[in-house]
Amino acid sequence: MENHDLIDRYFENSLSPKEQQLFNDLLQNDSNFKDEFIFQKDLKQVIAVSQQEELKSRLSHIEDNVQKSSRFMIIPKKWMVAASLLVLTTLGIWSVKSLYYPSNEVIYEDYFQVDRNTIQPVVRGESLKTIEYRAFVAYEAQDYYKAINLFNSVKTPDEAYIIYYKGLCFLALEKSDEAIALLSEVATQPALDSETADFREKANWYLAMAYLKNNETEKAISRLSLITNNPSSNFKKQEAQEVLGYLK
Amino acid sequence: MNQQESKNIIELLKQGDQKTLEKIYLDNREGFLNFSRKYNVDESDAIDIYQDSILILRDNAVNGRIDNLQSNISTYLFAIGKYRIYHNFRVQSRLKMTNDFDLVEENLDFDVNLYGPVVTKEQQLLKKYYDELGERCKSILNLFYYQGYNLDEIRSILNYSNKKVLKSQKSRCIKQLKDLINKHYGKS
Repeated sequence: MENHDLIDRYFENSLSPKEQQLFNDLLQNDSNFKDEFIFQKDLKQVIAVSQQEELKSRLSHIEDNVQKSSRFMIIPKKWMVAASLLVLTTLGIWSVKSLYYPSNEVIYEDYFQVDRNTIQPVVRGESLKTIEYRAFVAYEAQDYYKAINLFNSVKTPDEAYIIYYKGLCFLALEKSDEAIALLSEVATQPALDSETADFREKANWYLAMAYLKNNETEKAISRLSLITNNPSSNFKKQEAQEVLGYLK
Repeated sequence: MNQQESKNIIELLKQGDQKTLEKIYLDNREGFLNFSRKYNVDESDAIDIYQDSILILRDNAVNGRIDNLQSNISTYLFAIGKYRIYHNFRVQSRLKMTNDFDLVEENLDFDVNLYGPVVTKEQQLLKKYYDELGERCKSILNLFYYQGYNLDEIRSILNYSNKKVLKSQKSRCIKQLKDLINKHYGKS
């Protein structure tokens, strides 16, 4: 085997132990070999940096396009609903009053989507196989019954985020009463830190969804108003405004 | 998104699929910007951080660091972005920090300059001349040194009749770079 083959095999990660030994010897004792190796190592780094620059400029280009098009393309959902209602009315469906406004059930179907898991990114690893970790695995796999069981058995079942995600599991299973009980607990917790405050805000949105599901419109409206009236809240604010528009 | 989908996406990223990366970028952009608003991060800073996170995601995929990722790609991308927001802005939040440290223990590299900056004069020259190389050379060198394919795989990707031809082509590309650098220094 020639020396430059050894260098190729180094970069392919395929040196045998014996070749590795030889490789190390050459690196120490053969200055040409060493120069060649350093050159290729530099090349590897330079290519990676070049790749990064290329991707960065491509992303900037995409970003420009997004910002350009967003100036023209925002069609509020409300208008879309209004437009489709207009079509329906011109079709002559006058008598069915319920069609003028979407029912609570329809709004719920349109707007409800479980929150992403922002707590515990699920990565395989020995040290992470806690019950909490497994609960989030189940949550992401949409295995909500299992997730609820696991959330019940975690070390710190009273943490706001555990109660919050458990509530979402119930809501996803369309068990809105259980969901309301849990999410109310989160929504009324004192916000001691920004973490709890986050979950409190988000809980309000999902509480509103649960009330819609239960056809408790007034309660839904009061939760949504909490979101739209809170200047520091960002989560689903626009959606909350839209839904309020339908309900009021 | 299930685990199999994540695996497919990681595989596509490894192959350098641009469309996949663009889709990930667009799908998660709004969510990430909303998230960073909570920490009062400027929109332009947030976009910077978001783009860096995409770079890191791609690098980690290419380097095989997330072959065993069990969460979905968005969750992972958000974890990178969060980590960088904390480090850039020193936002204090005990709980989230501890969760991020779990990831650090997993040896997942969240730093954008994984390879260190190009600092030496030789590296800068090398970069200048690499960028000027022909497409043929660039794709061979890129597949070998960045994407991490071995010569047999590159032979079949680029349709070389045999490995020997490919190897001498690769040597010629490297020699071309060396010649350009030597010429720059006035050595023949």
